[in-house]
Amino acid sequence: MSRRDYLLRKLGFSLMTVVIVLVINFVLFRILPGDPVRAVIGRNVRISPEVQQALRVQFGLDKPVFPDQFLDTVGQWARGNLGISWSLRRPVKDILLAKLVNTVILIGLGQIFAIVLGVVLGLLAGWKRKSAVDVSALTFSLIAWAVPTFWLGIILLAAGSSWLGLPTGGIVSPANVSKPLYAVLPDLGRHLILPTLTLTILYLGEYMLIMRSSILEVLGEDYILTAKAKGMSQWQVLMRHGLKNAMLPIVTLIALNLGFTVSGAIYIETVFSYDGLGKLFQDALTKQDYPLLQGAFLLLAVSVILANMSADVLYTYLDPRVKAN
Amino acid sequence: MKRRLLCAILLAAGLLAACSRQRASPTTTSSSTQAAVAPTQAPAPSGPAVLHEGWTENPDTLNPAYAYLTQSYTIFDLIYNGLTTESPDGKYVGALAKDWSVAADNVTWTIHLKEGIKWHNGEDLKASDIAWAINAVMEHPDWWSSTSNYANGFKEVTAPDDHMVQIVTEYPIANMEYRLSFLYAVYPPDFNKFTSAEELQNFNNFNAIGTGPFKINVFDKDKGILILDANQDYFDGGPHIDQMIFQKFDNADALIQALKVGDIDLISEVPATAFETIKSYAGVQAVKEDGRYFNELILNSVAETNDPAPKRNPAILDPAVRLAIASAINKQDLVDVVLQGIGSPGDTIVPPTLGGGFWHNPNIQEVKFDIAAANKILDDAGYKAGADGVRTDGKDRLEFRLQFPTQNPVYPRIADMLASNFQQIGIKADVEAVDTDSLTAAVTPTGDYDMVIWGWGPDPDPDFILSVLTTDQFISGGWSDSGYHSPEYDQLYLDQQEAIDKSQRQQIVWKMQDMVFNDRPYIVLYYEKLLQAYRSDRFTGFIESPLGIDIAQSLLNVTAVK
Repeated sequence: MSRRDYLLRKLGFSLMTVVIVLVINFVLFRILPGDPVRAVIGRNVRISPEVQQALRVQFGLDKPVFPDQFLDTVGQWARGNLGISWSLRRPVKDILLAKLVNTVILIGLGQIFAIVLGVVLGLLAGWKRKSAVDVSALTFSLIAWAVPTFWLGIILLAAGSSWLGLPTGGIVSPANVSKPLYAVLPDLGRHLILPTLTLTILYLGEYMLIMRSSILEVLGEDYILTAKAKGMSQWQVLMRHGLKNAMLPIVTLIALNLGFTVSGAIYIETVFSYDGLGKLFQDALTKQDYPLLQGAFLLLAVSVILANMSADVLYTYLDPRVKAN
Repeated sequence: MKRRLLCAILLAAGLLAACSRQRASPTTTSSSTQAAVAPTQAPAPSGPAVLHEGWTENPDTLNPAYAYLTQSYTIFDLIYNGLTTESPDGKYVGALAKDWSVAADNVTWTIHLKEGIKWHNGEDLKASDIAWAINAVMEHPDWWSSTSNYANGFKEVTAPDDHMVQIVTEYPIANMEYRLSFLYAVYPPDFNKFTSAEELQNFNNFNAIGTGPFKINVFDKDKGILILDANQDYFDGGPHIDQMIFQKFDNADALIQALKVGDIDLISEVPATAFETIKSYAGVQAVKEDGRYFNELILNSVAETNDPAPKRNPAILDPAVRLAIASAINKQDLVDVVLQGIGSPGDTIVPPTLGGGFWHNPNIQEVKFDIAAANKILDDAGYKAGADGVRTDGKDRLEFRLQFPTQNPVYPRIADMLASNFQQIGIKADVEAVDTDSLTAAVTPTGDYDMVIWGWGPDPDPDFILSVLTTDQFISGGWSDSGYHSPEYDQLYLDQQEAIDKSQRQQIVWKMQDMVFNDRPYIVLYYEKLLQAYRSDRFTGFIESPLGIDIAQSLLNVTAVK
């Protein structure tokens, strides 16, 4: 199969997955108990039945779920209209986009640090197997991987704010709240230190462990022995033949993590009161804001699917076997 | 009022952050001449004095037409005024009003305004502005859903001149001062442009113009920052601090850490679990006041004739069973375990904090916790223990559903403690956590339950919490969850509404508490405390009261420590 066919097939699968997600997304929020209008108005007796009905009409809830509501919703989604958030009373798309930027900054930084440090540590540990470096890196990684997100965040928050005077929450200081983010980068940076550090520690362990076991496997291969026999230096062997092959599982992991970190940031964003998508998910859930939840779930699903697809694409470049098949 | 219940529901829904729990209802702003305390210190000499308050929820909106969270009312209290306001001692004093009186007909109220009141934009406030604001609520009660009940029974509101407002009511209104405290003077040009309920309620009013001691600088709801500037032209004298910043924290641990390291100066609601810790912080003063919030055990009291017919174990209606249940509840134990000892056992639906204690019936004799007595009551009533230890009178087995709304973190614990006590008297309680929405639907007006644990945060005036037990509230969207139906109670409720004489009203309110206590549609479990904390090394002059240290009257008195 040519690379083009392979990619087209992957794209087709991805699109199918998106469609299935859309359907599940729609059904999921409609089989939940309770009347969404009631969830919006609480138990407010002053809202007359007429006003309640008007709200139902506004949300399209007066029509049958299938096919009217379904077709209507899908039609709106297709046109990029994700509806109006009930709790924030703003278009869902605008809310998601604004928060996505903040989350991408946080996740991006955290992932980059975690990947670089994790890969280097893993490489070192695997290369110098059973050395002090290996044992300490392994111990650290296992602990970091096992530690609960929330707990680590709180501990770092307490330590960082007590000893280093770092902020206890928020994305910028109150004084800078009206300014655009790019104008207050140093302040934003100060607010990013602790959440980024938390994220880095949490993911570092995983990358390090995978990298270590992967490089160990690779170093046992015959072609490494051949390379050594050709008289290449340790370093050349590691870089030219070891690293590239050992990176394959890491690419998969990066793709998976990037897809899921949008949701995985819920804990970190909640600990550090960081204005991002994760916190938005939580708010939307507790407030039963269905349009916002639907939009958020859709974004989450699409980002996981996209990340997986890009891993597949990357594989065609990294792994000759994929091309061959 | 509804706001209070919503708070109760949100609380029940686990959104503890959403409402200051036992937080006394917000009041309007005043430091009127009748407000007791004078400033104790001069303003800080150097640099602006900025007071940072931390909380775990944003105001839902700054539009009084449609605001439900306590946080919104905290802000209204600072930026708006009503004609009156509740002072820290529970009495009502003038805010915009200099004085007020009711004519001999008991329905014509004349209110004179203070001099020199200005809107935040510098314009003079006229009596006609206030009349407009109240008329707007009266004209479209369903648009102004969060304030409309305060204008119930108002017939006509006029402004005969620039400094006088006249209100004529359809019947005598006993709690007029309380109602006027929540009918905020909103700036007419901001609110006179709407043509539908939806338009009005979608208006978030983030640039609100009011008359209060603080004015809006900015509210960025996404970033969780709200900044208020001092209104130095405030008619009762401006604040001694220059700015207030409210910052939202998404978890309570971070909030407390922020107070510890000095990122914030004030916490509006300290979780009971953290109170002891906070007391040990250097430079921090922890404040504990009696609160208004209570939790109760609801016993199904729905009328047999209800449509649909109630689904329950009929034994729950037996007064002997109800008394035995009450005797088997160890309220002090609940306080100690669930509230870490910070609270007090409850008896009536009118907490001791309402009106400075004026409305709470002090003569109610609490049912003593006594398992042996409870067993004897059931023995005498003819309930004999079966082979499995559960009592039955041959017809009804004493096995009841004990339900509670899911997300509240303390309810499972309460349910377990109650169930284990009930077991000791041969009553089997099937504990079940139910999603809040579904539980609401099962309770009102369906009556498909036996016992439910839930909570309330009453308004400052007893009227609201008393109304919850009236028969006609057991309708879809109504407040009654017990289905209590007593024509006598209903009549007393109407009587207290019209009892202009305060001590006469007090007697009626006491009588109503008696009835609820003895008929037991509710068994009140405990009253919570209001827990707050502030940096005493930075600010001083807070007035401690059940209303909280962050009400306008307290903040007007606060100065920065030199």
